[in-house]
Amino acid sequence: MTCREFKHTAASLTLWELSRPGDEQVLNHAEECPKCGAWLDKQRMLAASMQTLQARTAGRQAGPQVERALLRMFRQDPFEATQPVAARRSAPIAFRLSRFFEVGAYVAVAAAIVIGLFLGVRLLEERSMKHTLQSQSSPVPAQQTQAAADVATVEVAPPAHSLPALSAKRGAASRSRVRGDTTKASSLVAGVSQTDDSEYVALMFCDPLSCSSDAQVIRMELPVTEATTDREAQTQVADVVVGYDGVVRAMRMVNSNLN
Amino acid sequence: MLTELTDEQLLSQALGGDEDAFTVLYRRRQGPVYRFALHMSGSSHLAEEVTQDVFVFLIQRGRDFDPSRGALGAYLFGVARNYVRRALERSYADAALNSSADDEAHALVIEDDPADGIARRQSSTALWKAVLSLPEHYREVVVLCDLQELSYAQAAEALGCAIGTIRSRLHRAHDMLGKKLQHAAAVAPGGVSRVTARCAS
Repeated sequence: MTCREFKHTAASLTLWELSRPGDEQVLNHAEECPKCGAWLDKQRMLAASMQTLQARTAGRQAGPQVERALLRMFRQDPFEATQPVAARRSAPIAFRLSRFFEVGAYVAVAAAIVIGLFLGVRLLEERSMKHTLQSQSSPVPAQQTQAAADVATVEVAPPAHSLPALSAKRGAASRSRVRGDTTKASSLVAGVSQTDDSEYVALMFCDPLSCSSDAQVIRMELPVTEATTDREAQTQVADVVVGYDGVVRAMRMVNSNLN
Repeated sequence: MLTELTDEQLLSQALGGDEDAFTVLYRRRQGPVYRFALHMSGSSHLAEEVTQDVFVFLIQRGRDFDPSRGALGAYLFGVARNYVRRALERSYADAALNSSADDEAHALVIEDDPADGIARRQSSTALWKAVLSLPEHYREVVVLCDLQELSYAQAAEALGCAIGTIRSRLHRAHDMLGKKLQHAAAVAPGGVSRVTARCAS
């Protein structure tokens, strides 16, 4: 056996196998070659020290508290026992801090969701309130106006001088619906003749803010009073301009006998 | 009855909720795992922690074990190796490894049988210190093959590398250990006198 073969064979053997009397060829070469013999002696000394160390630690094992802790974990749901007691005790501060920030992040996300829901609900409420107000204040579309059989339209375009505070919007608003006593009003519309717009008399002083909104013109039959008893045959009819707030802005008398 | 079952059979029963099977498996395998961690770290506290972590891992992830890829013993050594690495990183950060290793080595001397020769005691203590001072990938092959008496194939399974790698690492580790032990003997009181005498002559 050459030195090269000796090394090759020795490399395939464990320390324990080398320390025991085994392959005769290896032993013979070690006896013949001082260099390889010295190397084998070193390995044997190392093996002896290893054996001593191994023997001294052979009886060492984990304490009974480890077994107790493991059995406790085993009895629990395995997914609940994610962190062993000892590992948690010796966890570095960075790990604990990262857990703290992780929990903090969850709390922040939950708070953001709650605030977002609250704001969303508020926004929806505001929108629905605005929509309601707009639907109350805005005129009904023309289709609905035409569909209503009991509604009549009256073209009234009072001049600016008779109602000085009414804005240009009122012109559009004058194309309005007549509600309320509609049965009587619709019967009146058929026979009504266009009269001079200058007959409108402003009943109140309108400031630009209160009079700049939509207005409605209602033709109504005035109640019979003492003053009219001598003219019972004639019914007094008037066109009344009513603001969005229900306050009469102006009116004119229509002196026509509808009967 | 349970003690006659193989590790794999015990594990499958334990994963099914059999506490006795788990206990038998733990008692059979905790010693080697503990000693592996002890030899790797030199700290009994860390070895206990690693042992616990390894079996907690087995409880939680035992279903991932594939018997066709190797024995359960090698699998447990592989898990233990990873936990030891993590624990050692923490220990290095705390600079506690050396002191604990010295404590363990000191404890070994105290537990020694008085009948044993002083030289043997000193050599085993020096050897352990030399093993602990080896780089990690050399230390683990020494612990597995020389102290746990695993074959090259089993060590290769545990460490997840080729048998040739184990063989070459072990060869290199033995050379390093020989040099370290020589150096330790030279630094020791008796060794110093020998060196001094040699230099004087």
